[in-house]
Amino acid sequence: MEIQKSNIGSKQRMVNLFLRLMAFVLTLVAAILLGVDKQTKVVPLKISPNLPPLNVPVPAKWQYLSAFVYSFVTDVIASSYAAISLIFLIANRNGKKGLELILIILDLVMMALLASSAGAAMAVGLIAYRGNSHVGWNKVCNIFDHFCEQARASFAVSLVGSLAFLLLIVLAALSLHKRSK
Amino acid sequence: MASIDKPDPEVPTKLVASEGAPPLPPPPAPPCKVDYFAVDVALRVWLFAAAVTSVVVMVTSEETEVVPVPGVPNHILPLPAKFNHSPAFIYFVAALSVAGLYSIITALASISVLLKPDFSKTFLLHFAFLDLLMLGVVASAVGAAGAVGYIGLKGNSHVGWSKECSVYKKFCTHVGSSIAVALFAAVLLVLLSMLSISSLHRRIRD
Repeated sequence: MEIQKSNIGSKQRMVNLFLRLMAFVLTLVAAILLGVDKQTKVVPLKISPNLPPLNVPVPAKWQYLSAFVYSFVTDVIASSYAAISLIFLIANRNGKKGLELILIILDLVMMALLASSAGAAMAVGLIAYRGNSHVGWNKVCNIFDHFCEQARASFAVSLVGSLAFLLLIVLAALSLHKRSK
Repeated sequence: MASIDKPDPEVPTKLVASEGAPPLPPPPAPPCKVDYFAVDVALRVWLFAAAVTSVVVMVTSEETEVVPVPGVPNHILPLPAKFNHSPAFIYFVAALSVAGLYSIITALASISVLLKPDFSKTFLLHFAFLDLLMLGVVASAVGAAGAVGYIGLKGNSHVGWSKECSVYKKFCTHVGSSIAVALFAAVLLVLLSMLSISSLHRRIRD
């Protein structure tokens, strides 16, 4: 009975460690994808109707949009938190109860941060993709196609990372429920 | 009179003291006390108020101003600014409406647990899950609306998106206050999930 119980415990621990590792890797990949996102396109610029159009290289960088900066920062915060919590979990072999509660609550905060950054980045990405005719904001993704592609990939990976955090909390709550009276 | 009045107040206080003493001895009461369902109900009522306020403020933000028509030079027209011109704000209104409805239902469920605490453990688990889900939805809605609102406020010179808040002042005030109230709702949802999870955690202790 005791062996079985500890077996279940160690299985749970392995799942927890694996999910945390996934969250770390995914948010790190999302941060890197967004961090190296840059594209320079040569755009013909018409200064006056008499002269031929002037070719100007226009760069698109992720720092230009504040929502992308927010997404990058939350990805970095979440991935460093996942790494630190992984170290704490590996060091804390005998399972202190206080640490568990603190980790769940911090996971919750990280999930909320990642969800809000996903919302922000996707809302701005949608404007960049489609434009908004009501306020005269033009789409930019038809010019900077590669830039938009990479940003989109980064947001998708970051969203999956936030789902990993969600799963971590759900599993922890289930285990708490099983052990509580 | 005074001699009769004086002992009177002391009798009730003694009675109260003797009445107050018996509830303390039975120790089985504390396990039920760790749940804080009363706090839960109060937080849910706050959540309902916050969600409804933010939806109403966002929906009533329509403003019409005489502005130059984008795309057509030398033309000015009265153009309205509405929340449903931006998909992010539509998502925001939908998410906050769902949060308001959710808060009513769960507040009723929480009150039912207060009255009849038989299934409080199961309710705690389900509240933890559902609050988590709602937190994800509301946080992403606040993020989306905040990001679009920020571009409207400051504009973006790199991609040529002009700021709108210099023209539509009332609209922007409404949107900004609505987002602030929704942020408060998101914080309430974080507190609610923390409450259910820490109640579950406290029940482990034997």
